[in-house]
Amino acid sequence: MPIEINWQLLMPELVIALTLIIVLVFDLFDSISKTVLGWMTIVGAGIALWVSIQMHQAGTVGTQFNEMFKVDSFSLFFNIIFLVSTILVALISMSYLDRGDRKQGPYYLLILLATLGMMLMAAGNELIIVFLGLELMSLSLYVLAGYFRESPASSEAGMKYLLLGAFASAFFLYGIALIYGGAGTTSVPAIAEAITADNKSPLLLAGMFLLVVGFGFKVAIVPFHQWAPDVYEGAPTTIAAFISAGPKAAGFAAFLRIFMEALPNLQVEWSGVLILLAMLTMTVGNVIAIAQTNIKRMLAYSSIAHAGYVLIGLAAAGAAAGNEAARSEGISSTILYLLIYCVMNIGAFGAVILAKTEDGESLMISDYAGLGTRKPLLAIFMSVMLLSLAGFPPTAGFVGKFYIFKSAIGSELYLLVIVGAINTAISAFYYLRVVVTMYMREPEEELAFTPYASTLVVGLILAVIGVLLIGILPSLMLTPAQNSVF
Amino acid sequence: MLLSIVIFLPLLGVIAIALLRGLGATAIKTIALGIGVLTFVISLGLYTGFNADTGTFQYVTQENWISSLGISYHIGIDGISLWLVLLTTFLTPVCILAAWDSIDKGLSGFMMSLLALETGMLGVFCSLDLFLFFVFWESMLIPMYFLIGVWGGERRIYATIKFVLYTMAGSALMLVGILALYFQNDNSFDLTTLSGSFEHSDLLFLAFFIAFAIKVPLFPFHTWLPDAHVEAPTVGSVILAGVLLKMGTYGIIRFCLPLFPDAAEKFTPLIVTLAVIGIIYGALVAMVQPDLKKLVAYSSVSHLGFVVLGLFSQSAAGIQGSVLQMINHGLSTGALFLLVGMIYERRHSRMIVDFGGLSKRMPIFAVIFMIVTLSSIGLPGLNGFVGEYMILFGSFVRGAFSKVHVVFATAGVILAAVYMLWMFQRVMFGTLDKTNENLPDLNAREIVVMLPLLLFIVWIGVYPKPFLSKMEKSVGIVVTKVQTTEPAMGRLEKQKPRDPKLALHGTQHIQDEKSEKEAETK
Repeated sequence: MPIEINWQLLMPELVIALTLIIVLVFDLFDSISKTVLGWMTIVGAGIALWVSIQMHQAGTVGTQFNEMFKVDSFSLFFNIIFLVSTILVALISMSYLDRGDRKQGPYYLLILLATLGMMLMAAGNELIIVFLGLELMSLSLYVLAGYFRESPASSEAGMKYLLLGAFASAFFLYGIALIYGGAGTTSVPAIAEAITADNKSPLLLAGMFLLVVGFGFKVAIVPFHQWAPDVYEGAPTTIAAFISAGPKAAGFAAFLRIFMEALPNLQVEWSGVLILLAMLTMTVGNVIAIAQTNIKRMLAYSSIAHAGYVLIGLAAAGAAAGNEAARSEGISSTILYLLIYCVMNIGAFGAVILAKTEDGESLMISDYAGLGTRKPLLAIFMSVMLLSLAGFPPTAGFVGKFYIFKSAIGSELYLLVIVGAINTAISAFYYLRVVVTMYMREPEEELAFTPYASTLVVGLILAVIGVLLIGILPSLMLTPAQNSVF
Repeated sequence: MLLSIVIFLPLLGVIAIALLRGLGATAIKTIALGIGVLTFVISLGLYTGFNADTGTFQYVTQENWISSLGISYHIGIDGISLWLVLLTTFLTPVCILAAWDSIDKGLSGFMMSLLALETGMLGVFCSLDLFLFFVFWESMLIPMYFLIGVWGGERRIYATIKFVLYTMAGSALMLVGILALYFQNDNSFDLTTLSGSFEHSDLLFLAFFIAFAIKVPLFPFHTWLPDAHVEAPTVGSVILAGVLLKMGTYGIIRFCLPLFPDAAEKFTPLIVTLAVIGIIYGALVAMVQPDLKKLVAYSSVSHLGFVVLGLFSQSAAGIQGSVLQMINHGLSTGALFLLVGMIYERRHSRMIVDFGGLSKRMPIFAVIFMIVTLSSIGLPGLNGFVGEYMILFGSFVRGAFSKVHVVFATAGVILAAVYMLWMFQRVMFGTLDKTNENLPDLNAREIVVMLPLLLFIVWIGVYPKPFLSKMEKSVGIVVTKVQTTEPAMGRLEKQKPRDPKLALHGTQHIQDEKSEKEAETK
């Protein structure tokens, strides 16, 4: 049977694939300035972003390759999240990598490959495709985490990430196998049909829990989070930003798709688990973040806590129990939150990169003392991102949290929202501590900061605009998110 | 439209200062003061155009904001919020003028925080949409956080973080309450359509009440207040005591009482007990404070206890008294903090033992200080008396709670006289210390700062009718809601719950009382 390929449906993925080939080819010529590769990545991702937005607005829906690949507004919205993250990360990477002895070609290549993997995950309508996407993404990230070969910390981070990530992949694959054993298929819609209320074989339940473990590792949910702080701390800061944003969103995209579409008849079982994991993740992430003195580690624990907030939305969608409005609100709040989270988290890491001194990056929170008066622009960037992460209005972080909490109340998860809201107050403590350090403390020693790199500043300005714009006019992104529910 | 201008004009000032910060200190201060005064002048238009014959919301604007979530930009004021809006617009320019020479670092940031704070506070008082209310409620934390944290005293960082965390813990609960209300309000955050009885109204009441009680602050949630006050710069203390604390009591009268009258009644015994404990405890702790600013801070705990007492009295006189007392406290305590700040700038000490005999060296200061002190004590003829009298009168007559509470609260009035007059005596009389011999008296700017406050202190004391008449109908609406059920305790006097004359009766009574006392003093 000849396969008819609808190329239009695959447009965003094709653009990214083409871009990575171009980057690969141009990397061969030594005469070309390596920042050109960065610009190519940005342009390619920009075109893919534009195509995705057009397709999203047109409401494109369709499947490809025997229904293994599903393009709908849900996957397209996630494409937007991934591509926005990729563009921002490329912008903050250019000056960061700009040292003569570093090869930049493979860096952008791997970022594009990872992006492609994420897009596959979001569009996967088949567990095997999701797994392929996951591996494509993860393998690229392992290399990226250890990209600075000369730095032991970076190598250690890459190794750690590889070992634990491979472990998680094994769990995930084993889960798929068990589900195949229980349902007789790996196709998402077919699994849903195979699982009826009276056919809940223990194989399926075991498979489901293994999938939770696998995803739990990938998106860093407590108690599967231990790798995150070490990897974030050791990896190049731009890669820490990248790992904390896009891949996490991709993990949640597949999480949502598989659990809501393939396992809706097991909702009673998994939504209870997610409620528990959400509470645990938020609380552990926020409480440990308080004790951190290294800003990258602090942001790592903060991103663990944020995975907990996202889980609230997932749990709300799962606990909706037949209430259609609550279900779709749960999904749309999750994806809106992921978009907002990616922008503000990359922004926060970008601000860390901006605070660069002659002897390297300023990673201790105490290094930020007095920046409010000496580096006002940097301090403003950092403050906006941290206030948004803490969920203060009028920033996007507030809108995201508010919407997540609202969806959970809609599913009557009062206790979960109370825990989440109290966690917001806890998190304010450590985010504000950085702001305190910048504006209210005097520096102990004069640090020589290097001048700002223009691309980095552009990236940060875009992030700040995004955070404030969504904060003041949430409808801009809220309506698309609400239209992206499957 | 007028109301939107008043709310967002200060924000425009923030942007203007941000753009023109290069022009130098004087220009920044002039812009800030100009915007502050202009906002106040425009807000006077709200007063003159306000129709006192109706208790409903006026100057209402409703625009779609996030229509898919039932959120709109919905603002308006009634006779209660009118006064708090005016208090805010009045105190801000006073504060800007008061901070004229005392801020040496980061002047533009200071003025921007102050103006941004004004927008946040005004927004809280004008929001008729729960989401909008929450946005203003939370966003106002950021400028206040900077005001205390950057321009505060030695332990400012501890104080500012404590302040933010206390408020956020409370607002976390309120957020859950707001969301739960949303689903019971036909998927809308509109405050004006909220009515009827709600499921779990006891829990909802508590969710809101705890958030507001932390802000008021009601005993035992008050521990952040002394720290915040002592560490805040003078202007921060003035705004904190003058307006921010009122957001708590305003929240109670706007949300807790009219939305959950049954739950409010159920918790009244507990709440008024806490209020009375606050009155007595605040007064006793104030008495032993060696630090002037801390003394005034604890006196706030005591004064706000009265306000809460009146709010839960279920009587028109009591609630009107509470609203009036909110304004009074803003004026008197604001003035006290300003005076403490002025003396601190001269002597760089706030310890009472460092002073004595100041009245000889600084006569103008002494006179103003005396008037404000007496106003704070509640001397007849000055503002404090009217509010406190109405609160105690309303609480006693209506009998919504045990009279023992009222008796103890009244004892608080006496304690207030003790700690304030004792402090005044130690600072102003006695022998003048050598180090204090060269302290200059108030300069023209400082007198200009204090005069408007004194004007209102006397005005409300002598002729409170213009203030009460505008709020009467709006308070009446709240009263009808809380009085729909029979009070738990027996009543002394049968009152007609919906009688608008009731409030007038209260006022009348006060004026009689006052003329008697004035006659006596003569």
